[in-house]
Amino acid sequence: MVAHKLKISKKVWLTKNVFGMEFILPRIRPYPGQFFQVRVNEGFEPFLNRPVSIASYKSSRLLLAVKIVGRGTKMLSMKKPGEQLELLGPFGGKFKPARKRSLLIAGGIGMAPLRFLAEYLSARKTVFDLLYGVRASDEFVFRNKVGRMADRAIFVAERGYQKKETVVSRLRRMDLAGYAVAYACGPRTMLIELQKLNLPMPAYAFCEDFLGCGCGLCMGCAIMYKGSYRRICVDGPVLELGGIDFEV
Amino acid sequence: MKCRIFGLDFKNPVFIASGTFEYGLTYKRVSNRVGAVITKGITARPRIGNPPPRIIETPCGLINSVGLENPGVEVFCQEILPKMRKLKTRVFVNVAGFTVEDFIRIVEAIGDRADGLELNVSCPNVEAGGVAFGRDPEICAEVVKQVKKRTKLPVIVKLTANFCDPLVVGRRCIEAGADGLSLINTLHAMAFDVKGTKVLIQGGLSGPAIRPFALFCVHRLKELGVPVIGIGGIMSGRDAYEFLLAGAAAVEVGSATLRDPYAPLKIIKELKQYTGWGHDAG
Repeated sequence: MVAHKLKISKKVWLTKNVFGMEFILPRIRPYPGQFFQVRVNEGFEPFLNRPVSIASYKSSRLLLAVKIVGRGTKMLSMKKPGEQLELLGPFGGKFKPARKRSLLIAGGIGMAPLRFLAEYLSARKTVFDLLYGVRASDEFVFRNKVGRMADRAIFVAERGYQKKETVVSRLRRMDLAGYAVAYACGPRTMLIELQKLNLPMPAYAFCEDFLGCGCGLCMGCAIMYKGSYRRICVDGPVLELGGIDFEV
Repeated sequence: MKCRIFGLDFKNPVFIASGTFEYGLTYKRVSNRVGAVITKGITARPRIGNPPPRIIETPCGLINSVGLENPGVEVFCQEILPKMRKLKTRVFVNVAGFTVEDFIRIVEAIGDRADGLELNVSCPNVEAGGVAFGRDPEICAEVVKQVKKRTKLPVIVKLTANFCDPLVVGRRCIEAGADGLSLINTLHAMAFDVKGTKVLIQGGLSGPAIRPFALFCVHRLKELGVPVIGIGGIMSGRDAYEFLLAGAAAVEVGSATLRDPYAPLKIIKELKQYTGWGHDAG
């Protein structure tokens, strides 16, 4: 792990409450699912760093996408290009995706780490399809970027102008025989529903949580997995969907 | 900044507190430069810990309820302690018993393979023993007495300030033979989920939010004239120095490592500016 003091080189609003920050950070080799711990400010409010997954890393350009969900992310949203932020990382296990036909299942801001996974798969000439759902159709992020990389891309929205549908209801109608593996990232409720579907292929969840240290020290981000507590930050964040016990 | 406490030499008076740095094996560069690493609380039997959520951020700090997750003393002694001994630092084992027998069992299993013991009679996140144990001066004194009979290692008692006076408990521990005291452990705290109206977490509060209170407690123990290790929201060299001014012989850094695993190094560097070289304590 390294601490990096980095200038925000670019900032873009992706939806009304999701923004992207770009940093120049050479010489890292991140894996899909890995994340950075972002120091919101030098004071103690908020006290903990905010974990943000890598949305893209290409030619030393690191992109983090943040959804405003509370105080810390709100403060982050007020940072301007040129301002410095302290980033710790990359953290997270070194997950190596299979080079087989894959299905990416994204819900809402869950698209962020899956965009980086898409880049990773594309760079390794691995074919994948994308199923991306949001609540309202103005909430899509990276829709075209990832859509272009995918062999086939399906977008659904629970409300909005398009046909009303969720990721889960769409999956029920899909022919899943051609996929060797599935990767899902989205709200907990979506992951729980996916688990109930008993997908025919091995499925991996990109987990998220409020983290303490983010690097395995505090044991704060426990998740019940295959009969024992694991730490999302170092044992995950990518875990087999079927092994997770969401009820604990 | 070398210092000598309980007859042991330490390279500096900045230690790593129990529970916030695992076993010091992840960030060895940090472990190798601090005065001592105190392990996560070790119990007689393995513990899987508490269900999530285990950490909730609060103003200038956090509430944790990890629940002493650890592999138990046997696995600890076989697999973890030998690795810790390779660190270039003093290793103190945080002994977390729920009964006097537990303490004896753990201490006997460790033998002389550590540099010292910190008796955890004050964890707020376990049902039996824990903090209620730590409030009772007579039980604490009994633990110290039994432990001291079975070890030659320096014994520190980690005190709670939850609904009790650490001076009263601390005095009895010293009378029973403890070599020093460390305080404070986390304070009782809770948070509610206002969307669901249920309790979100009940656990121990740490971080800069508790620092002024921790300082007060450390200062209160000055009259005992024994080495006291100050703990509570230390984030900078200035904070650490304040504890030394209050009478602490050394400090333990805890929550700061959650924000920055390298925080202890920064604290050591900054503390040098306040103390100069050759800090002599106890």
